[in-house]
Amino acid sequence: MSSFSRSAQQWATFARSWFLIDARMQPPGKIATMCSIRLQGKHKPIYHALSDCGDHVVVINSKHIAFSGNKWEQKVYSSHTGYPGGFKQVTAAQLHHKDPKAIVRLAVYGMLPRNLHRRTMMQRLHIFSEDELPYDIQANLTEELPQPREIPKKLSEYTQEEIDAFPRLWTPPEDYKMK
Amino acid sequence: VGAASPALSSQCKMAGVTIKSNGLKKESTINPTRTLTLTLSLSHTLPIEGQILEVPVGAQPPNPTAKCPIYRWNLQNKYNYTDVLLLSQFIRSDGGMLPRRVTGLCPEEHRKIAICVQMAHRAGLLPDHKPKLPEDHVPKRPKPELNRYLTRWSIDSVKPIYKTGLKWCKKRMPVGHPILKNNVRYGVKPLYIKH
Repeated sequence: MSSFSRSAQQWATFARSWFLIDARMQPPGKIATMCSIRLQGKHKPIYHALSDCGDHVVVINSKHIAFSGNKWEQKVYSSHTGYPGGFKQVTAAQLHHKDPKAIVRLAVYGMLPRNLHRRTMMQRLHIFSEDELPYDIQANLTEELPQPREIPKKLSEYTQEEIDAFPRLWTPPEDYKMK
Repeated sequence: VGAASPALSSQCKMAGVTIKSNGLKKESTINPTRTLTLTLSLSHTLPIEGQILEVPVGAQPPNPTAKCPIYRWNLQNKYNYTDVLLLSQFIRSDGGMLPRRVTGLCPEEHRKIAICVQMAHRAGLLPDHKPKLPEDHVPKRPKPELNRYLTRWSIDSVKPIYKTGLKWCKKRMPVGHPILKNNVRYGVKPLYIKH
């Protein structure tokens, strides 16, 4: 923009920003795609694979992640220690219990390009299982990204007016004992 | 509660003595001048009165001639597991579905609503409709509090997919339910059921 000074414009284009994502009740795959795009720098028009233009991403509440379907029981994370008989297979629920940050971390790792930059990009990803952030990271945050999934309202969260405004679809017969 | 048993009253009429017979009171010969109260006294009875409440007439359905309530309100393919205000009208207080002969739903819609109610329960959207457990109930194994949504199968019945298979024979993880495939979608992306 013509109104900004040259140094301010330069700073705004090339500075490394810090993004915040709240993963409460969100599917970890969608969180991971948002993270990987920003860690690579693909959200910037000045992107180039060699120019190290990725940003920092902070994910909070990774303990309260929500999987769709029955993935908590069906999805299996496999690894091999390298020793014979060292093939380990753990379900998503067991892995989450052992380490609440692992699911998001593995999802982002799998979505980054398979080159030597991947490790540095993972170092720029900061995952926290709960709300609390250390002060130095909190001071660096610039933008909060909107959540990918709309969280549905529980029945207890609706106000009485909203419940009354919804029409009764059917009337029970007079001689039926309700509930 | 205060109903007179017909057998007792007929006996009283035959004897020529009228006794105020209560179903709970024991039979006895009462001298009309003296009153005799027996052990099961009236103070232990709890008078219960049932009143048929007058429900105020609300909005009228746009299609009153249809038989099923969902067709009456034109909600055929428009509801999902998140529409808790709709689903809560068809469930009991402990979370179970009401019978179809009472609600008047057609069989397909009853099945769709049952499946949406199941998914809503598993997503934790109906917290007040849990079955009543006795107070000293201790669960056998600790239940992990994991957030989930669009769960088709029950949690205990699903096995982990240890070998997912190659691309042509991949074992997918189902999400949602195919019965809701005709739901209205206001976007370009198709419904994605096999993840």
